Amino acid sequence: MKKNVRLLFLFSVIFSMMLMAACSNNESKPEPSNPNDEEEGTAESPGKVEINFWHAMSGAGQEALDSIVSDFNSSQDKYTVNAEFQGSYEESLTKLRSVGGTKDAPAITQVFEVGTKFMIDSGYIEPMQSFIDKDNYDLSQLEENILNYYRVDGKLYSMPFNSSTPVMIYNKDAFKEAGLDPEKPPQTFNEVKAAAEKLTKSGEQYGFSMLTYGWFFEQLLATQGGLYVNEENGRAGDATEAVFNGEEGLRVFNFLNDMNKAGTFGNYGTNWDDIRAAFQTGKVAMYMDSSAGVAAAVNNSPFEVGVAFIPYADDIERQGVAIGGASLWMSKGIAEEEQEAAWEFMKYLTTPEVQAKWHIGTGYFAINPAAYDEDIVKAEWEKYPQFKVTVDQLQQTKPSVATQGALISVFPESRQQIVTALENLYQGADPQEVLDQAAEGSNRAIEIANKTKK
Amino acid sequence: MKESSVSLLAKSSIWKKSLNARTALLYLFPSILLFSVFVFYPMFRTIYLSFFLTDQHGSAALFVGLENYTYLLESQAFRNSIKATILFVLYTVPAGVILALFLALIANEKLRGIGFFRTIYSSTMGISVAASSVVWLFLFHPSVGMFNRFLSLMNLPEVQWLLDPDWALLSVSISTIWLNTGFSFLILLGGLQNIDGYLYESAKIDGAGYWYQLRRITIPMLSPTLFFIITISLINAFQSFGQIDILTKGGPSQATNLIVYSIYREAFVNYQFGTASAQAVFLFLCILIVTILQFKFGERKVHYQ
Repeated sequence: MKKNVRLLFLFSVIFSMMLMAACSNNESKPEPSNPNDEEEGTAESPGKVEINFWHAMSGAGQEALDSIVSDFNSSQDKYTVNAEFQGSYEESLTKLRSVGGTKDAPAITQVFEVGTKFMIDSGYIEPMQSFIDKDNYDLSQLEENILNYYRVDGKLYSMPFNSSTPVMIYNKDAFKEAGLDPEKPPQTFNEVKAAAEKLTKSGEQYGFSMLTYGWFFEQLLATQGGLYVNEENGRAGDATEAVFNGEEGLRVFNFLNDMNKAGTFGNYGTNWDDIRAAFQTGKVAMYMDSSAGVAAAVNNSPFEVGVAFIPYADDIERQGVAIGGASLWMSKGIAEEEQEAAWEFMKYLTTPEVQAKWHIGTGYFAINPAAYDEDIVKAEWEKYPQFKVTVDQLQQTKPSVATQGALISVFPESRQQIVTALENLYQGADPQEVLDQAAEGSNRAIEIANKTKK
Repeated sequence: MKESSVSLLAKSSIWKKSLNARTALLYLFPSILLFSVFVFYPMFRTIYLSFFLTDQHGSAALFVGLENYTYLLESQAFRNSIKATILFVLYTVPAGVILALFLALIANEKLRGIGFFRTIYSSTMGISVAASSVVWLFLFHPSVGMFNRFLSLMNLPEVQWLLDPDWALLSVSISTIWLNTGFSFLILLGGLQNIDGYLYESAKIDGAGYWYQLRRITIPMLSPTLFFIITISLINAFQSFGQIDILTKGGPSQATNLIVYSIYREAFVNYQFGTASAQAVFLFLCILIVTILQFKFGERKVHYQ
């Protein structure tokens, strides 16, 4: 008996020690700052600086990115970049929160556009501007409308990388069948409504659809020059109040509500794949998508596909679109040579050759417009003339705080509020009422964020 | 010298008397340690956080007392989550247990090839929530889904399974019932196999019919297992997450925004760990109350052999 007890005691002591060892040992990543570390680079030459690059690109994006990274690694012998997929934008941001500001943080992280304000406030990052100034890097070679989004107080905090805008994609064959001119897509809210009426075939085909996603609402707001939050869309200071429930926002909601009531609007929920499948199977004749989805829509549809600018309110001048997508952030608190390496890699990414490859591989914009003159892009555009529409829409955008896009740290939460508002709208709720509710919910989130900000 | 030996004696007798307690503690030590690390610490941390507003990094920043709780109780969205959770429990638990019981009863018959059916009925246990939800996602798909194909074949109007707030919770419930059936079935079948055959033999001799045997022998003898399954199903239903995340993300119009999902969204999308923790404490209390009630009233009907 006594022996057993002693044995048991011994066992539990060993067990608990193992447990503690396991706890303290978690997540210890190979340290990039030490090139002689056993875990990495035994085959590499010792002088090489190795950095980690966290990204959220899956599928075609990941393939294109991996090939760009390996090209970079073999193009010079000073730096090695490890591209690591970290899940969706939200997931990778969550991971970054646990290591941000420490030396375990990756040298480069890709963060989605609505995380911009959060990243600036986080204190995790080295503003891109300091390297731009030090290196006298010529920013004018990059696309002005993209830079506008990421420039805050005249400073560029991150390097734009994958950028997309919304477009309206439509079924040319259905247009012909309905007696509409397939080369003249509707431009304004009223024109879209009228076209949707003609395109709707009860039970078979809806005229128009839009993914239930806050981004599209933001864009339809921006193209009217409407603001999302106060303080000049959050660009003049910390926003304190959502203003998207004003006149412009109401126009968007009325536009959707009218079509929904008339039975010409198809609701395919919050999933990108669902609405794309609905379009490709001919259940919807016009829908809003990201410019990064154009190639897939053209390739996968058994009919001719047209791409148009997003619709704008009647009697108002079209302002254009705001940028979506993500940018690259450099970490603070890591070794200087790693920052150096990150900067070299980012410069490499913005060269026309790389951007051309990226543009045709993914459908994202080239942040360096010189890429559009590359031969591979020209060939691709010949194959997909639709691509050009997306670039035209971006380049015709009038720079303003509206089309710069809003800057708030609680964007994910606010987008969720818009999604709920749209869902309630489609169930027959009053447009102004659901918009006000969404604004109220966003206000609370903004208030808490401002209260707890250090 | 005498005194010291007495006190030594007393000491050693305390030492001896507490031998049992010490042995018990020793045996419990590993589980106490594990529970402290993985259950107690997070629980107290959650309660602590529920009195704070958290900053962008999710650490406690501003003490607000009970404000998170009063906000929750006033919030329309949270009341909606409570309602959805209760409905979800009502949809999934009774139907799931009855279905599993029915399958277990028919699979308990001694027939040739019954092993095949037993394997099939319990097979959903081997499928992860994520994988099966993706399959259900395709079945429910609004334009190319199988269910809508069948409906249109039969000239019935299509149903927006996951997009119509009136249907979404029901659709998620159907997939949940399917998902949980395998486990419930296996446990119930085990319970059925444990019932002694002589009970049925003597009932047969006494001339009892199938339904009489079911009511008077099978159900009472199975009651400890049934009780276990009902408790586990209840707790599972309250904690369902994966299928919601994949099928509806809490939408449409918050119709499937169960409390657990709402906690997740509050914490890991909005980074409001304060309000998320308050919701978690609330959910904890709910499950605690339901479980206590169940043990108080449900267990009376349980027959232990």
